[in-house]
Amino acid sequence: MSTTSTPVGSTGTPGGASGTAPVVAPPRRSPRPRARSNRWAAAAFAAPLLIYMLVFYVFPLYRNLELSLHDYTVRAFVQGDAQFVGLEKYREIITSATFAPAVRNTVVFVVVSLIFQYALGLALAVFFRNNFRLSGLLRGMFLIPWLLPLIVSASTWSWMLNSDNGIVNSVLAAFGVGQINWLTSPTMAIWSVTIANIWLGIPFNLVILYSGLQNIPGDVYEAASLDGANGWQQFWRITFPLLRPVSAITLLLGFVYTLKVVDVIWIMTNGGPANASTTLAVWSYREAFGTGQPDFSPAAAVGNVLILVALAIGLLYLQLQRRQEKS
Amino acid sequence: MSTTRTWWKTALGVLFTALMLFPVYWMVNVSLTRTNDLRLDPPQWFPVDPTFDGYANVMAQQLPALGTSLLVGLGCVALTLLIAAPAGYAIAILRLTGRGPLNFLLLVAQMIPAVVMAMGFYAIYVRLGLLNSVGGLIVADSTIAVPFAVLLFSAFMAGIPRELIQAATIDGAGPWRVFRSIVLPVSRNSVLTVSLFAFLWAWSDFIFASTLDRNGDLIPVTLGIYKYIGNNTTEWNSIMATAVVASVPAAILLVVAQRYVAAGVTAGAVKD
Amino acid sequence: MKRLTLPIRTLPRLSLPVRGLAAVGVLTLGLTACSSGGTEGGAGGDGATDSTFTWWDPYPQHDDSSDWAQRVQACGDEAGVTIERTAYDTTALTNQALLSAQEGTSPDVILIDNPAVSTLADTGMLTTMGELGFETDAFDENLLAAGVVDGETYGIPIGANTLALYYNKAILDAAGVDPASITDWASLDDALAKVAATGNKGITFAGIGTEEGSFQFLPWFWGAGADLTALDSPEAVEALSLWKGWLDAGYAQQSAINNSQNTTWEEFLTGTFAFGENGTWQVNSAAEADFETGYIQIPAVDGGGAPAPTGGEFITAPVQDDEARYETTSQIIECMTTPEGLVETANTFAYYIPPTEPGQEALLEEHPELQTWVDAVRDAKGRTSDDLGTDYPVISEQLWTAVQNALSGAMSPEEALSAAQQAAESATS
Repeated sequence: MSTTSTPVGSTGTPGGASGTAPVVAPPRRSPRPRARSNRWAAAAFAAPLLIYMLVFYVFPLYRNLELSLHDYTVRAFVQGDAQFVGLEKYREIITSATFAPAVRNTVVFVVVSLIFQYALGLALAVFFRNNFRLSGLLRGMFLIPWLLPLIVSASTWSWMLNSDNGIVNSVLAAFGVGQINWLTSPTMAIWSVTIANIWLGIPFNLVILYSGLQNIPGDVYEAASLDGANGWQQFWRITFPLLRPVSAITLLLGFVYTLKVVDVIWIMTNGGPANASTTLAVWSYREAFGTGQPDFSPAAAVGNVLILVALAIGLLYLQLQRRQEKS
Repeated sequence: MSTTRTWWKTALGVLFTALMLFPVYWMVNVSLTRTNDLRLDPPQWFPVDPTFDGYANVMAQQLPALGTSLLVGLGCVALTLLIAAPAGYAIAILRLTGRGPLNFLLLVAQMIPAVVMAMGFYAIYVRLGLLNSVGGLIVADSTIAVPFAVLLFSAFMAGIPRELIQAATIDGAGPWRVFRSIVLPVSRNSVLTVSLFAFLWAWSDFIFASTLDRNGDLIPVTLGIYKYIGNNTTEWNSIMATAVVASVPAAILLVVAQRYVAAGVTAGAVKD
Repeated sequence: MKRLTLPIRTLPRLSLPVRGLAAVGVLTLGLTACSSGGTEGGAGGDGATDSTFTWWDPYPQHDDSSDWAQRVQACGDEAGVTIERTAYDTTALTNQALLSAQEGTSPDVILIDNPAVSTLADTGMLTTMGELGFETDAFDENLLAAGVVDGETYGIPIGANTLALYYNKAILDAAGVDPASITDWASLDDALAKVAATGNKGITFAGIGTEEGSFQFLPWFWGAGADLTALDSPEAVEALSLWKGWLDAGYAQQSAINNSQNTTWEEFLTGTFAFGENGTWQVNSAAEADFETGYIQIPAVDGGGAPAPTGGEFITAPVQDDEARYETTSQIIECMTTPEGLVETANTFAYYIPPTEPGQEALLEEHPELQTWVDAVRDAKGRTSDDLGTDYPVISEQLWTAVQNALSGAMSPEEALSAAQQAAESATS
């Protein structure tokens, strides 16, 4: 995630990649001028954030860890006298019959969501970059799904995908397609919630990627079209490489957010039928709040497994970033 | 671009938007459908026999909640920018020592389940007497946006051409002036993007509101909706109508804000 | 512990009372450290003084100007205090109750869905009615059971409800079915076949993967003679095969697998279903439907009424630092549970059968048509009967999972139930 800290190199590279003369100066190699005084300035600018994180995140993080290492029954939760059990809860969840399907569903849900959200978001961002009539208005309207309370948008989706009285099946029937049990078939359910989640994620991707596109200097394109590059070539030779840092952060954040999605799935299927659409995050939620018997410790353990996964992806990301920086 | 070319693009854009917004249309449709027709098979494409009960309820009951949501959303934007923009600057441009671990922490922070966050806040707020206050809710909601905002700011600021900053530094500008007069203006797009996200997250937050602002005088609209979800009844008309009414002011805000995401800000700045 | 979501599907008044084995020693007294702070400042905000009592209930649909809120207030006035009422949705209420107990800011009174009573009592955060000085003799034993843990009563039902089969008279007439003739599963199947022959839909029920799914399945499960301690018994398989058979024959729809009780009711209201399994709480709505409706008791396999599960909310009183408050709390509860009070509650919510005999008689005087429901509630069975206690939630989770597995076709009823039994055994042992 030093993503971020990756210096301009990222934006600078494109010139090299596309072969067109960069309007932006060549990749900057300048060291840090006045490093020492900057260090203090940096600390001063970051201070509000550091204090903020210390106050608001450290405790919950510690709490989640602590919950997972103790045996917190509801009773122990209130009384505060949970027994320390070490990694026992982790062992429990990994050997649980729900673990394997939950991992599989999580992979499907996250990977498919990410690919489609990103691809559609990028395609739309590129499309909206052409300033045609009404483009601003339409782009704004694309964000409306995001304004809706999740309970409303997810309920609407489950409404539309209802096997018997849903609009989607009704339209498909008009084309001669038989009834699809979107939410009640053990094989379909995970795909249906993924579709709804892709829809929900498009605005997020569109906003960031569009904003990223706006930061690509127009002259780069001018130069490219002078060279005779067509739209398709421009996309692959300029847009895509220049957008790489923003794409990376979009995907990384998208990954983190998708990994922890509960609401959509919970409202649409409750993770069912049976466990057919239960992801790790849904499982964690169900352990804690979905049954008559709140089980906070396994829930926290599953939550921490998710945090580890996110960290692993973050590391991988950092690695790729470094390699790219070097090359 | 010739007009004929843009014309078909507009048509295509309208088509895409229509497809994307179909679920939203469906929600409007449901908001106008009588309870007895809600689950008709096959479903009705249009509310044939519309009812406006839902909207009447919303107008009578939810307007203060909308105001609160707006207030919380804007407050959250301000707080998020205040904390995240300088931090992004420190990480991306001033190259803060220890930014690597900090970035990791930010990533981890985003993975903390909202419920755990809410429990933590509850414990803190009980002691500080901040429960049921709009200010408290703003601070809590900002925790959703701040880690994201810092990451986004640093990603975008990393893309600011160094020459800009070097030029200013050579002119004798200190870190603060560089931040204020160069980095911030050039980062207008990311400021808007972050604002948008902070606003939307605060707007749609349910869990913090439900834990921390339950019985204050000012409750946000996400809680207001729960008035219509009884134990054994679900007033879909009113729920959907609330969502429709609530999305209007926010949608206007979005469309207006989007206008300011101007093209080629960076490029322009470089040339100047 | 992820984002707390919208309890849209949360169980309506489903009870899973707990008694018997349940809660081990409830350290009510040892709790003081945790509940320091008492009501003071609680979620109520402005540091409540002694004359302000806090009250939480799961009825956000009734705002401050509603009859319900005014009744609560009136009971406060009678006891000489001001009541500060806060409404949460059902799931949030349980969480909030636990959180407040942990922080020592519990309210004076919590009205809570009966499954949660055992959970809360188990944590030691509730006072017993004995400590409160409240007499519980008047309450029907089968209804009170949900509030009893280890012989101690932790709550009072303010009303009770249960399930029955609503029918659409026009559709039954068209199919030539006399509802009175439906007395066992064979005659029900027969009626469904006749309805299907006329092109109408047979029955809608809620097979959702939450407590609601178990709640709806239990009348059939118990009606077949099955027992929750043996989910894989032949009787249980018979019950699940009945539901599965309806889906296969087209008497019921695929969407039933995902239906909540509310959705089921919305489907029934379209007027295209012959039967809908639903609760007492829909009586008013059924009377206002566009078509003529009626209801019959859910039949058992070989005739007679099947035992249906009881549901409803309980009044509970969390432990307070200042025990002097209990007297007033007891007065407030007393006021809410007089026969007149219970009838008023029944009227306010349109679905509550009073849990005491005087209350039931007073209600029947006003509404003789509710006789069927009063009988049904008297005969209903608590879900934690059979000495299940706190094992019930664990077993129930396996039961609804089995229902979903079988209905969706992932497993046969036998496989689904035997897997459920294994999982339940390992989780409760």
